[in-house]
Amino acid sequence: MAKKSEFLFSKSSTRFFLPWMCALMVFIATLISAGGIVISHSLASWQRGVSSSLTVQIPTYDSQGLPRGDAVSQDLEQALTLLRTAPGVLGATILNNAEMAELMSPWLGTDAAINELPLPKLIDVSIDTATKPMLERLKSELNDVVPSAVLDSHRIWLDDLITLSNGILNLIAFVLLMLLTTVAITVIYTTKSSLSIQQSIISLVHMMGAKDLYITLKYSMYSFKYAFWGSFIGFVLAIPVMLGLVVFLKSVSTFMFQASLTHLEWLALISIPVGMAALAFCTTFYTVQRYLKKFL
Amino acid sequence: MMEQNKLSPFIAEFNGVSLRYPGSPEVLKDIHFALTPGSFHFMTGESGAGKTSLLSLLYLHHEPTRGRIRLFGQATDTLSRSAKAQIRRQIGVVFQDFRLLEHLNAFDNVALPLRLCGEKESDIRKHVSEMLTWVGLEKQMKAFPNALSGGEQQRIAIARAVIHKPALLLADEPTGNVDDAMAKRLLYLFLELNKLGTTVVVATHNEGLIKSFNFPQLHLANNHLKIIPPSEKYSDMTAKLFKREVKNG
Ligand SMILES: Nc1ncnc2c1ncn2[C@@H]1O[C@H](COP(=O)(O)OP(=O)(O)O)[C@@H](O)[C@H]1O
Ligand SMILES: [Mg+2]
Repeated sequence: MAKKSEFLFSKSSTRFFLPWMCALMVFIATLISAGGIVISHSLASWQRGVSSSLTVQIPTYDSQGLPRGDAVSQDLEQALTLLRTAPGVLGATILNNAEMAELMSPWLGTDAAINELPLPKLIDVSIDTATKPMLERLKSELNDVVPSAVLDSHRIWLDDLITLSNGILNLIAFVLLMLLTTVAITVIYTTKSSLSIQQSIISLVHMMGAKDLYITLKYSMYSFKYAFWGSFIGFVLAIPVMLGLVVFLKSVSTFMFQASLTHLEWLALISIPVGMAALAFCTTFYTVQRYLKKFL
Repeated sequence: MMEQNKLSPFIAEFNGVSLRYPGSPEVLKDIHFALTPGSFHFMTGESGAGKTSLLSLLYLHHEPTRGRIRLFGQATDTLSRSAKAQIRRQIGVVFQDFRLLEHLNAFDNVALPLRLCGEKESDIRKHVSEMLTWVGLEKQMKAFPNALSGGEQQRIAIARAVIHKPALLLADEPTGNVDDAMAKRLLYLFLELNKLGTTVVVATHNEGLIKSFNFPQLHLANNHLKIIPPSEKYSDMTAKLFKREVKNG
């Protein structure tokens, strides 16, 4: 005997195809969205990190690997003088060993003997983010005075990275949009093909005096139920994959990626399966309603 | 379920009704008739005369191309969709092609009108079992339509049409697939319902039935409707019953 509540539905592809399709689509959409969120977080932190400072290196060894001796402190003096007078620069200080050690700790560990390493001297330059010094000009002026000085291209590189990741974010938004469109089309197609199986049922119960809203709601809730279960499964399966990726990203680099989500972002991710089920609901509602309008 | 508009004396009223399917000449022309509450009519006419078409106007599946139909006192051309649904609930239809739902067994097919009304499952179980027993299908309750003979399917279609005691019963050749004994039995079922107040229209070819039950006929020929009164020749019990009804009405 058919389930009491489901007497209006014949066994159809909806029951099988819709949940699996939703599971797959939600799985993919959740991962892509989570990736998008992580990238946008990291982007924000890169922008924060880069906005206020920049580094100038004065090598302590020459290209043959011999110590440069007094030339280093001379270079440091000249570089400091130039930097402190450059427009948009708020201040410039030489990093001491302790600061160096801290800066290097992600790579070298905490007990590295900084002195024994062939590290360059570093000048930390704080810049006025409002004025934004012309980096390329500052770099060439610096090299005119101190040819050995290297203005850390970190910022320039980061600028490029930010531009790139902005592009990637746009791309992700676009892909998500395409994905949702695909899901919508697939849901519409699935619903329509399943309705063609149910047409004789719909026209019969219509003829028996079932109201339009009753019929549309029955079918919409039916689609919602199956789409929701599928979406839920897809979402649940995406979570361990997401956590795995976070662990992976953290193992690659602790500060490159901000791989944690706020409550609001979790909410946004949860809205993916809910939205998918809502989409199935609306599509079914619209399709059945249109089908019923064929009858008097 | 048998509520009627007190202002109108008729269950159904056709006034100059014509029907034309797209791209064909009129099937029904200038039809006039009225069904009084509690009446019983046969609908006769050759195959293709338009019996099914006329019934489909009565259960609001088609709209007349000309003329006006009133059902339960309400002009059908002014009804909202929801009001039409309300009227359809008071009509039981035995379709010529049965229209059983293949995914439901005999029991659930018959239970359908009751489930749509949201009736209690315990009541449904009782009524549907009784009805299936009446039409002689108590053993086939769990069988699905495609495992049943034409006659058995027809009886399920009939049981489904009458289960909710509709105010108007429209049966389109309901005895086409059963033997004469079963045909009579089914007609007695309609008669039972008729005694309880249901207005009945039975489209049929079965001369035997028409003679032995001797009800007035809505006869279709040449796209027109003619009403043939019950014959005085037959003094069957049902004819007396009809006369008594006419006196009362
Ligand atoms: N849905 C339809 N579309 C077009 N023509 C139809 C339709 N239904 C019936 N007809 C035509 O209308 C005429 C009457 O058919 P019908 O009402 O089924 O007659 P009956 O039930 O008396 O055999 C036939 O010529 C048939 O071909
Ligand atoms: Mg017919």
